[in-house]
Amino acid sequence: MNYVPGTASLIDDIDKKHLVLLRDGRTLIGFLRSIDQFANLVFHQTVERIHVGKKFGDIPRGIFIVRGENVVLLGEIDVEKPCDAVLQQVSIEEILEEQRLQQQTKQETEKVKLQVLKDRGLSIPKADNLDEY
Amino acid sequence: MCDSEQQQEVSEPQWPENGEQWRDEEDQTMDCGLLEVMAEEDEDINVYNQETFGTDMDTDVTTDKPSSSVQLPPTPPPSDVQPLPPHRTPPPPRQRLQHQCGFVPGQRGRGYRGGQGRGQMFEDPAVIRMVEGRPSLKSLDSAIVDCGFAMHRNAFIHNNNDHSYRKSRRVSGSILQDSAIVCVIGHRGRDQQLNCSLDSTFPIAFGTRRAEPRGPCSRRVFGRRGASQVNILATPGAFAPGSPFLRQPMTSRLPFNQTWGFTFPPNRSCPSTPQPLTPKMMQLRFGTNSPRPSPFYSPSSNPVQPFSRCPGPVTQLHPQHKRLLGQKQRMFQRKSEGWDPYCNLMTAKEKEWIIRLQMIQLQSENPYHEDYYYQEYYRRIEAKMAEEELGIKSKREPPKLTTPYITKTDAYAPVVHIEGSLGQVAVSTCYSPRRAISAVHAVQAHCPFEEQKDNKQQRLEVLNKIEMLFMVLLEVEESERMKTTVLPETEERRLMEKTERKVEQIYSELQSHSGDFLPFLLISKGKRLLARLLPFLKHESAGKILHVVICNLPTLMNKDSEETLPVLYPPLRNVIGGLTFSQLIAILKDLTSSESLSTLECLTQACQNKFGLSLLYALLSHGEKLLSSGVPLEPSIGDFEMWTEIIFQVAGQLSQCSLVEPLLLPSNLLTLFCRYLDKRTVHQLKNNMESATGFLALPS
Repeated sequence: MNYVPGTASLIDDIDKKHLVLLRDGRTLIGFLRSIDQFANLVFHQTVERIHVGKKFGDIPRGIFIVRGENVVLLGEIDVEKPCDAVLQQVSIEEILEEQRLQQQTKQETEKVKLQVLKDRGLSIPKADNLDEY
Repeated sequence: MCDSEQQQEVSEPQWPENGEQWRDEEDQTMDCGLLEVMAEEDEDINVYNQETFGTDMDTDVTTDKPSSSVQLPPTPPPSDVQPLPPHRTPPPPRQRLQHQCGFVPGQRGRGYRGGQGRGQMFEDPAVIRMVEGRPSLKSLDSAIVDCGFAMHRNAFIHNNNDHSYRKSRRVSGSILQDSAIVCVIGHRGRDQQLNCSLDSTFPIAFGTRRAEPRGPCSRRVFGRRGASQVNILATPGAFAPGSPFLRQPMTSRLPFNQTWGFTFPPNRSCPSTPQPLTPKMMQLRFGTNSPRPSPFYSPSSNPVQPFSRCPGPVTQLHPQHKRLLGQKQRMFQRKSEGWDPYCNLMTAKEKEWIIRLQMIQLQSENPYHEDYYYQEYYRRIEAKMAEEELGIKSKREPPKLTTPYITKTDAYAPVVHIEGSLGQVAVSTCYSPRRAISAVHAVQAHCPFEEQKDNKQQRLEVLNKIEMLFMVLLEVEESERMKTTVLPETEERRLMEKTERKVEQIYSELQSHSGDFLPFLLISKGKRLLARLLPFLKHESAGKILHVVICNLPTLMNKDSEETLPVLYPPLRNVIGGLTFSQLIAILKDLTSSESLSTLECLTQACQNKFGLSLLYALLSHGEKLLSSGVPLEPSIGDFEMWTEIIFQVAGQLSQCSLVEPLLLPSNLLTLFCRYLDKRTVHQLKNNMESATGFLALPS
């Protein structure tokens, strides 16, 4: 029950299982236990889920406190709904390994791209990490 | 059962007599049920230990090998405090701690019942033995709680208490292996009564344990004191990383009375009932500056309910909204929730606090303006309901929305600029969680006396100014719109005054820079700003702007890349319509005699440009209107001559060069030309103009 319609309020989301995507790209799943006016979140029984391709791995993290400004999106998870059959869960070690490989290939392609551009006299400046207003 | 447990502990020869002391204390208040649970957990821990450390416990490991886990020793006899070797990390506090509380990790013995022998003792009596564990993910990444098995979603499902109990217990046992995890939230047994009530001197605001989570999870760690989260944090260096020591109910051994006191409300059976807070606790919890919930709020089990008391004039809900809220509240209360042992960590009071805060943020003096959609939505619902009720009951007057008389808190500067610093500090508050930092202000503050500013900086300043003035302009337009609504006399006058002042402010700001409005006119948004401002200006001021436009017409036309000049046409046309003949002549003179260009060139340029041509036509048209109207013109000397001259010049230009389509072709132009020119020229003019415009001018 949102007391202030027309606004977003997390009050109704408390004690429910959520998935939150952070600005650094991490995906956390946990029970939202507490909030504040800045939308700082306290997650309980948090699990960090890493996705690589069709595989994913869960790393249990315990209690997480997320600063509100780092949240990209947040959504409730329906615990009754069956988990999707497409994704395959693997162990933590495996998924971390996969992630590492993925990062590696990405870096390599990036390097090649940069080199190609450099050869042509072009340069793409590094994107600033801060938000643009 | 309890006795047997204790017997087992006593049988361990290594644990010194302190253990017995400790056990004596425990005897008095230890719950047998608790011990049962403890025993079960012990088994888990044993299993884990075996996995981690291997079954061969008698193998001695030398100090040369890197150890990933250091086990803490039993407390030496109180009288015997051995000096620690310098390279050993266990800091003095820990030893002091152990010393103080007569601590004996007696139960840890149980944990190692699984066959861990006593290893070689080093010179440090604090170390029993060192073991090289296999490097697990946990040791590499301290944030990983448990990687023994993936936590499937089953762990999250609290279908029945036992199931969840078991699962989370397993988890918790291994959770504690993680060095990053200090403590797991404590639970108390359902039937346990907290006997201790301690003085509330504890500085850390962890009194949030009001809502008791039920059930599982290392009860042992907390004994019956609960909230050991607090206590563990208060004992720095008490834990070695990865030490199974964590599992020990160390905290329960600590003399709370002496060192850490904290208020702990007595246990209650219903978890969802928030505990009443002592005032001191309240203070601790919310901090000094946070808005406190009003003291007359009494927490109730339903987080929704207290709010129905409608916190005063602070929050204003649409009456329809209030009604709907009430309806939904009743529905909500009937719904029963599934059991969640951790539910209601956030109490009703805290929820109220946040809701209140959010509503404060939403306060506004003109809600229809600032929250249009909300107002409109409820207005429509009301209208619909009224319509429905029309058939059922006699038509009821829908409740009027009461105008909120909220005094808005003073605006404060959310951006702080510290003298001499390069940047700015954006203060993030609940009213403005994130403010953009404008680059211009920093620059301005940085070099206030520099006259030589970059073009870029100047442009930035102008842009910034336009934005600021636009805001004011929007207010002016808003108040203009409000004029249509009937207002009491005094209010209307006040409104008018306010509007006038704003208009003057904008005008003076626009002028302030270079004395004229040129920098603003060169930017397309500036043109738009001026175009919208013109209707509000007095004739004199507007005339000035027109003058500037005319004088700089070539520049403006050249630099109008976005073609926003035409936006100025309608208001300028109105201004022209108010000119006297002399003024008109003066304007025309300015138009045709620019500094750099000759008359011909001026006119040619004007003809090539839509705006210029339209302006020219407008001027001529007005002149013609004045002349033919019969109103006494009060011309100055030489006006008529000037006029005639201009007519001829213009006519010559118009007939010769190619014309663009003007924004508006006044109907009396040809009449004007007819009067002064011969038929042939007029005919030529007509053709030219027609070809440009595509429609017929009035026949001569």
